[in-house]
Amino acid sequence: MRFESCAFGHAGPTTRRDVITLIGAAAAWPVAASAQQQAMPVIGYLGSESPEPYASRLVAFRDGLSETGYVEGRNVAIDFRWAEGRYSRLPALAMDLAARRVAVIVAPGGAEVALAARSATTTIPIVFEMGGDPLMLGLVASLSRPGGNLTGVTSLSVEVSRKRLEFMSELFPNATTFAVAVNTTSPTSALQLKNLHAAADSLGLQLRILTASSEAELNDVFRAASEMRVGGLVFTSDPYFAYRSHQLAALAIRHGVPTITQARDFPIAGGLMSYGGDFQQSHRHTGIYAGRIVRGEKPSDLPVQRVTKVELFVNLKAANGLGLAIPPSLLSSADVVIE
Amino acid sequence: MDGIGDQLAWTVQLPWSESADERRRLDAFRLLRQVPAVVSLTLVDAAGRERLFVSRIGLNRSEGGADHSANPAVVGVKSSPIWFGPVTFHAGSEPFMTIAVAGNRAAVGVVVAEVNLKLIWDVISAIRVGRTGEAFVLDQPGRLVAHPDISLVLRADETATRPLKALRAGILAQGGRAVTGHDVAGQTVLAAMARIPAVDWSVVVQQPVAEAFGPIYATLWRTVASLLGGAALAAALAYWLTQRMIGPIRVLEEGVTQIGAGQFDHRIDLGTGDEFERLATRFNEMAGELAVSQERSERIIRLKRFLAPQVAELVDRSSDDGVLDGRRIEVVVVFGDLRGFTAFSGCAEPEAVMGVLSDYYDALDKVVSVYGATLTHFSGDGMMVLLNAPVACPDPALRAIDMARDMQRSVRSLLLDHGLGFGVGLAMGPATVGRIGSGARLDYTAIGTVVNLASRLCASAADAEILVDAVAARAVRGRVRLVERDARMLKGFDRLVPVFAAADGDAG
Repeated sequence: MRFESCAFGHAGPTTRRDVITLIGAAAAWPVAASAQQQAMPVIGYLGSESPEPYASRLVAFRDGLSETGYVEGRNVAIDFRWAEGRYSRLPALAMDLAARRVAVIVAPGGAEVALAARSATTTIPIVFEMGGDPLMLGLVASLSRPGGNLTGVTSLSVEVSRKRLEFMSELFPNATTFAVAVNTTSPTSALQLKNLHAAADSLGLQLRILTASSEAELNDVFRAASEMRVGGLVFTSDPYFAYRSHQLAALAIRHGVPTITQARDFPIAGGLMSYGGDFQQSHRHTGIYAGRIVRGEKPSDLPVQRVTKVELFVNLKAANGLGLAIPPSLLSSADVVIE
Repeated sequence: MDGIGDQLAWTVQLPWSESADERRRLDAFRLLRQVPAVVSLTLVDAAGRERLFVSRIGLNRSEGGADHSANPAVVGVKSSPIWFGPVTFHAGSEPFMTIAVAGNRAAVGVVVAEVNLKLIWDVISAIRVGRTGEAFVLDQPGRLVAHPDISLVLRADETATRPLKALRAGILAQGGRAVTGHDVAGQTVLAAMARIPAVDWSVVVQQPVAEAFGPIYATLWRTVASLLGGAALAAALAYWLTQRMIGPIRVLEEGVTQIGAGQFDHRIDLGTGDEFERLATRFNEMAGELAVSQERSERIIRLKRFLAPQVAELVDRSSDDGVLDGRRIEVVVVFGDLRGFTAFSGCAEPEAVMGVLSDYYDALDKVVSVYGATLTHFSGDGMMVLLNAPVACPDPALRAIDMARDMQRSVRSLLLDHGLGFGVGLAMGPATVGRIGSGARLDYTAIGTVVNLASRLCASAADAEILVDAVAARAVRGRVRLVERDARMLKGFDRLVPVFAAADGDAG
């Protein structure tokens, strides 16, 4: 009897302690949750321009991020740095982000941004988004196994510069000379020019190279193109051009120059044609990779993704304005025809 | 895949002429637009010459004229209407495949398409089994062609995808039935497989075992939970019922103890509205009846002290003590006592004296009882008996004489041995009857001249004699043989009192 009562005496406090532990855990849970909120992971976002031209890309990026379960302000913070078109500021901004020990640096919008981010850190993971070949730019050791702290998404924009020339010659089958706008400060410009010359050779065409790396020079390019006796103006793939689609469209209309660029924003803003990678997809995948890295995956394990979708936009209104008839071959190839 | 094949078939319907064919070119552009997976198209004529090449990335070529007669796609498609090449990985990453479709006759030539398999990823990642189940595709040598996590495909990592190959091997070993295995994350999964015969690919659908068996586990848990819940409910109900029962039982127990202890006024107070309340009511009724019964038996005991049992019963049945109240009625008073008792008690042993007295009273008591008379008083060897009180009886005088005779008969046999005698005197007349005394020491008696007269007649009676007064004698005249004796002076009476003696036997 006495033994029994001892056993009960022991069982009592244990149960009580368990209950207290449980209650304590339950009480601590919201505390832990709020502590987690305080220590929200930070994504450093390095942008070459200002938020306005990036708006549609940011939407796609946040879409991708939310696919991995992260929502800005709820469980992840995004620290933005904008170069506002002055690409020389990119390295300093990247250093700033690296100094803040962000969880990952997102470097979208071209090779310049990716290279600036890489120069800032060798430890913080970097997710790039660009049109060029990261292998050739030396950003990664291999597409399937990037190896270092960089991975990202590439589109075919740079590779398809020559197709722009081809579409232009399709539109002007009798023209033999075309103007090409190139940003010589772009790391991919040399490669694109080489490809374009090769394509011109096989198509039997001549190229007039016009360079532009500032907004004032863009105006000069269009004026020169309109003064030359050329079939049309072909823009190489370059983020600097892509983010100025509205300006390019306005200039093209003003100077009456049939023009093709890489970004769909150009024909949407009133330009004639565009042919390039789908930036919505590439920025969405950038968001997915950023989320996966925040979740703990290593960039070296994430292969570089290529957005293989390339899209042709044709603006019939712009063609009418230029007095052009779009041949059926272009119309049947176009993914979107703006009427 | 077949969809792409069908689309390709459109481009090989017309025979090639010598000149470039603008219509085919448009068809090819349209196909590129409609089938995003196709990266490039090559149309080859019957002679194996390249007639048209269109690409999303490279430059288009018309009438390129390159010789494709040795191209494995062109060769392969000769034996079957559609030919699927092996999966190749561009730059070690992007999965590509060559598909060739031949027209229905040699003149229309062959179309060779390069297809980016990454775009079938959209199909694969859309396959969801349950909540977290997914599908992936392996080609014949076991390379991952499509997986919801595209980075696994692009990484082309043999070690990472080994578990998936093991899954397929497991399914093949089981003859195509679903098996359990591990996915790339090491999670235990249930996997089933379908083959795409044309390309010899395997589409494996996997679902985490935890989820696949989720409903079963959920049912199990529900069952266990409901069992536990049921048991707990039963225990709680049993406890509640027990508590509900123990309370009333204790009240009943206490009540019964009190009633058993004689507190018949105790009442068990239970308002449970069930069998307990009914039982308590029965107990209360029983206690009430016990109280009545006890009261009655106490009364009977009280009455029997001076009433014949049947009289006592009678009084009791009337359940009215009023009969015992004082009143004046006509009674017959009978006195009897022994002759020679004083001398006997002086010389006999006390035991013998008490023995004789005891037998004597027993005998008298019996007779009194038989006649329903009221024995009011014993004193020494004498006794006083009343008739017609407290309960009226018919013809009390006759009854008294018959009783006296019986007394004489039964007493005489007792007394002869001891040399004792017995005399009786009786008188009839009005007297005040009722209870006298106090508390427990109550007696029923009669007061009046008639009592005095009977007592004097008894004292005057000789052994074996029954003396009767004039009133009683008049009441029994003609029915009892009476002998008138000399009137005599009796103490307390200032005149001669007429006396009759009851002779043995009836009148007549």
